[in-house]
Amino acid sequence: MSTPLLVPQLGNEITEAEVTEWLHAPGDTVEAGEPLVMITTTKMAMELEAPVAGVMGAIVLGEGEIAEVGATLTVIETA
Amino acid sequence: MPKSIVVDPEQTQSAGRLAFAAVDLHAYATPFADEVEARGGAQLRAVLRHMMIIREFESMLASFKATGAYAGIAYLYKGPAHLSIGQEAAAVGAALGYRAEDHIYGSHRSHGEFIAKGLAAIDHLDVEALEAIMAAEQGGAVRDAVAHGPGGKAHAERFLLFGFLSEIFMRSNGFNGGMGGSMHAFFPPFGAYPNNAIVGASAGIATGAALHKKRAGSSSICVAHAGDGSTGCGPVWEAMNFAAMAQFDRLWADKGGLPILFFFTNNFYAMGGQTIGETMGWDRLSRIGAAVNAASAHAETVDGTNPLAVADAVARKRALLVAGKGPALLDVECYRYSGHSTTDVNAYRSREEMKAWEAQDPIALFAAEMTGAGVMDAAEVEAMRADVAALIEGVTRLAVDPAVAPPVDVAGDPTLIGRKMFSDQDITLGGPIEGLSPEGSATFRQIKRKARFGIGPDGPLSPLRAVTIRDGLYEAILHHMTHDARLVAYGEECRDWGGAFGVYKGLADFLPHDRLFNAPISEAAIVATAVGHALEGGRSLVELMYGDFIGRAGDEIFNQMSKWQAMSAGVLKMPVVLRCSVGSKYGAQHSQDWTSLVAHIPGLKVVYPATAYDAKGLMASALSSNDPVVFFESQRLYDKVEQFREVPEAYYKIAMGTPDVKREGSDLTVLTIGPSLYPALAAAEELETLGLSAEVIDVRSLVPFDYAPVLASIKKTGHLVVMTEANERGSFAMTLAANISRFGFSDLKAAPRVIGAPNWIVPGADMEDTFFPQVNDVIDVVTSEFYPSKRVNKRGIRNWDDRDLAKHGL
Repeated sequence: MSTPLLVPQLGNEITEAEVTEWLHAPGDTVEAGEPLVMITTTKMAMELEAPVAGVMGAIVLGEGEIAEVGATLTVIETA
Repeated sequence: MPKSIVVDPEQTQSAGRLAFAAVDLHAYATPFADEVEARGGAQLRAVLRHMMIIREFESMLASFKATGAYAGIAYLYKGPAHLSIGQEAAAVGAALGYRAEDHIYGSHRSHGEFIAKGLAAIDHLDVEALEAIMAAEQGGAVRDAVAHGPGGKAHAERFLLFGFLSEIFMRSNGFNGGMGGSMHAFFPPFGAYPNNAIVGASAGIATGAALHKKRAGSSSICVAHAGDGSTGCGPVWEAMNFAAMAQFDRLWADKGGLPILFFFTNNFYAMGGQTIGETMGWDRLSRIGAAVNAASAHAETVDGTNPLAVADAVARKRALLVAGKGPALLDVECYRYSGHSTTDVNAYRSREEMKAWEAQDPIALFAAEMTGAGVMDAAEVEAMRADVAALIEGVTRLAVDPAVAPPVDVAGDPTLIGRKMFSDQDITLGGPIEGLSPEGSATFRQIKRKARFGIGPDGPLSPLRAVTIRDGLYEAILHHMTHDARLVAYGEECRDWGGAFGVYKGLADFLPHDRLFNAPISEAAIVATAVGHALEGGRSLVELMYGDFIGRAGDEIFNQMSKWQAMSAGVLKMPVVLRCSVGSKYGAQHSQDWTSLVAHIPGLKVVYPATAYDAKGLMASALSSNDPVVFFESQRLYDKVEQFREVPEAYYKIAMGTPDVKREGSDLTVLTIGPSLYPALAAAEELETLGLSAEVIDVRSLVPFDYAPVLASIKKTGHLVVMTEANERGSFAMTLAANISRFGFSDLKAAPRVIGAPNWIVPGADMEDTFFPQVNDVIDVVTSEFYPSKRVNKRGIRNWDDRDLAKHGL
């Protein structure tokens, strides 16, 4: 099963965020709650955590790319 | 909120009982003979003599106030005289425990503290150093005024007393150039930093001074002198808590608390209110130490009628402070024989009480100890008293003589005081500080990727793609933080969070704690410490999360930050930038534009940029300035991309005080303050469709302000609208309109019109459009008042009757 990691809604005026740093690479085994990627809005920087335990899939949006709220950043594959 | 400090529920929820570090009361018990042995007769004679000098000096002031004469010298002294007769042992004992390089910040009742610190410094310094200090002061003018008489240290004593008395009499060669007076005297070369007319105000300032000493790696201390009544002042508690912040020991690389001593001269009365038993809850002032930290701030109550008990306590606290164990607190009990001021008739205390304390006169007690121990005999004591009286009389004769102590010539030079308000000095930055690289910061890299101009082929770019006002502020602050090691930034949530609005986002990645740190929710302490840090040679960048919190730091902004440059006749500098974010959508207590309130106060520069280019350039100017700057930022504009010009990546400055024409026009001028720029520009576009050409000028700065570009504009247009988001009544917009009416009367075809916020509270988010001036308001006003032939009714909300509202207080 695959679970996507999405850009969350971060307040009613925020529509997009920038990927600033990937903390894991595709193929890494990650725990649920482990930080995977740093994103930044105009006002704040935050870490997004793995929603479930599993193996991280391909990076959909790389460092420096701007993502709309709701966009998929990667997926976590679970057995 | 650093992640390294974990809030562990198991630990926080464990049962137990708090214990408080014990507080000693009157623990001093050294026999006088041992003191004679340890200190020697010369030092003890100096203690007695210094107390006598203070007593005679204040008796002279009391005599002038009561009778208009002293020692046959007639003089009308109009200023204040808050005397400390009876408290001399506290001041002299303290000074005996200090070193020359320790800095004291005084209270309003500070003649004794000032003189004692000065005399102790004269004792410590050698004659060569004293002569250099006297030569440097006003080009030797004070030294020369008291040249007649014995030289060396005796000359330095006359220099100290004359410079001080001349200041009290507001003469031009007083230590503050006559701009300070009795309650504001200071003389930094002797470690006597400003006294303060505001009760307890020195607590926060001295704490900031201690912050600077800690950062500078100094092995000296700062002292806040205050009275027992000041323990009722919120800012004093804020200062003590700030001084005791755990982060100094837990998070800072250079561990150790601030080297600050809170020295409470406890005379049992807060003017007339009795602290023990009436106006305070504590039974012993020293008890409040237990509220500060687990060490009870090393608090002690000591006998302030015995200078050696005080000196002993100060020396022990000083050792703790130098070892990084600060802060420390002393409750120094003594009794004030004189009234609070010369109009005090002692209605609040009994004759019996006053009589009982007469037996505790510190000078009589100490003289008795000296004669009892055989250090002096009675005749020597009397000779000393006569010698001191002659010294004070001699200095007084000089200080009342206008030929020796010339009055400040304000009549001959009417703007003399005005020219002391600002230094108008800028620093020049050096090269980058080694080892401080922002390159690894994600925020830094993110801004690097952005467009430098915010308008693309398809219109405005998103704030993630183009440089915003937030980024402009960040870039200027980053440049100064990486090129000026004296600059320290702090405020609430400034570090890990990056400030509530993200201006400092990412700076914590590479700036150490002593350059950027989180302050407690203590606005008074935030500003007061910024002032003290700056007075000692540091540079301060502090933030109030909302401009609405200015009220919480009222004295610190309006009396301290603003006035010390002028009250010191320009000797002191005040490089403090106070960032204030102006809220939005948060209603009556979080969305107010208080720029007018601040611009009203003399001594503050006030800026309010509305574009990224201006924000970056003005912040660079503010951080370069030696003057205090209140820097307003609109929360509605943080994400605004630049739409007028490219924002250079390189460092640049925009001079404060220069309004900027943002749109040219010929039929009317709209002068805007802060975010009003944008509705003004939108209105200008609409007015164009009606055949009216509007020029839009952004003030950018309120203080200073150059009227020339606006007067040039109305010469062309003949009509003026001033837009502000501040309440109209008493606003800076009204000042602008009034002055432009006067300066440009002949060019105006109609009276200028202010469009501001109505004189009621800022309503909640959904109603904000009815409060802050909108595009339609401008169009309605312009077409109905200036160009009736083009009148349209856009249903702007400001069609109310201002005269009727005024009758109702609105």
